Amino acid sequence: MSFLQLARLSGNQKLALVAIALGLGALALGSPRSGRVTIDERELAAIVEGEVDHVTPDELADWIVAGKQDFRLIDLRSVAEYAEYHIPQAENLAITALADSDLARNEKIVLYSAEGIHSAQAWFLLRAKKFPAAYILLGGLKQWTEQVVFPETPAESATPAERIDFARSAERARFFGGAPRAAAGPGSAPVAAGLVAPVAPTLPKVAPPTAPTPAGAAAKKKKEGC
Amino acid sequence: MNAPFFKFGLFGDEVSLIVACAIGIGFGFFLEQAGFGSARKLTDQFYFKDMAVFRVMFTAIVTAMLGLFYLGAVGWVDLSLVYVTPTYLWPQIVGGLLLGVGFIVGGYCPGTSVVAMSTGKVDAVVNIVGIFVGVLVIGEAWPAIEGFANSSALGRLTLPEVFHLPMGLVVFLVVLMAVGGFWGAGVLERRFADRPAKEDQ
Repeated sequence: MSFLQLARLSGNQKLALVAIALGLGALALGSPRSGRVTIDERELAAIVEGEVDHVTPDELADWIVAGKQDFRLIDLRSVAEYAEYHIPQAENLAITALADSDLARNEKIVLYSAEGIHSAQAWFLLRAKKFPAAYILLGGLKQWTEQVVFPETPAESATPAERIDFARSAERARFFGGAPRAAAGPGSAPVAAGLVAPVAPTLPKVAPPTAPTPAGAAAKKKKEGC
Repeated sequence: MNAPFFKFGLFGDEVSLIVACAIGIGFGFFLEQAGFGSARKLTDQFYFKDMAVFRVMFTAIVTAMLGLFYLGAVGWVDLSLVYVTPTYLWPQIVGGLLLGVGFIVGGYCPGTSVVAMSTGKVDAVVNIVGIFVGVLVIGEAWPAIEGFANSSALGRLTLPEVFHLPMGLVVFLVVLMAVGGFWGAGVLERRFADRPAKEDQ
């Protein structure tokens, strides 16, 4: 096409040609990725100090009961442990597979492991890769089973407010296939039942529409989108 | 300084509201400039008499897509942080059809009804009242429709992920689709230009 022919094209046709040229450029570039990793140690330290990097078992349980889908729950334990029991909605992902996973940076990611050490390490890896919304399940699966699946029955001296709270947790425990357990008396060993995960095949199914929504759900994430 | 500014915490809530206000006014201004303050022009789209809506919207899509792609390629925008509306397949199909029916009946989509109202059009005011009534109805009926609204959740989906294609190839194909669409729009306009006269007889 000669220069004269180009000049005779209308403005719109020229713009279309520019778009096609840019499209061809994109075709040549393929999938660009900016893979530079920088760590701001002060920022990370401030996050750890401010304890804004974790989700409590209560918050997570309320999200699941309410049928929230705006987060990814990652189980960092072994495949066998995952098969035995996992929190509903959780995906099993080894910490070594984190780098190649399909986790996206604009997702809210909640990590958990048996007691929390692995999840804290995975959290650091994700933060280093500029995942701004990675969270740790506080206390790991241990605290989850003690607090959500097998909540402790309050002592005789509990205040009415504590009893109301407990009624709510008991209902939630049944939702997750657990049950309240007797309080551990002073000096006695922790109740074993609280540490044993429920049997895998009878995992409760999460059904958002029929699920009772506990009051006081966790604070919502910053609203985004249109 | 890298975008998205809000996600990286470079903008606070207040600044982001000011930016949103500026973008909103700009959006409205260009909608009005494109003639989208007129319900007649907007509904002509559905009878293939005037494809301006298609042209303007697809041009905006291609411009934004090329801009984001190249800004991402040079590292000024972290594309993985750009918000992508999660896909809920069936609820979104039903919602899209509902919006389309409302668009044809009312003559405006939500954004253009605000544009038309600001130029004093009464039908646009009626449209906006209808939007608020609709919001109220949805809010009240939410327990009944919540199950459906949350169904077929596919999460955050993009075309390169769905088709397992390099992003650049998808960008190129969408540009071709746009240019082909613009050509096709011209063909449709020439074919349907004399339709209303016949229907009126």
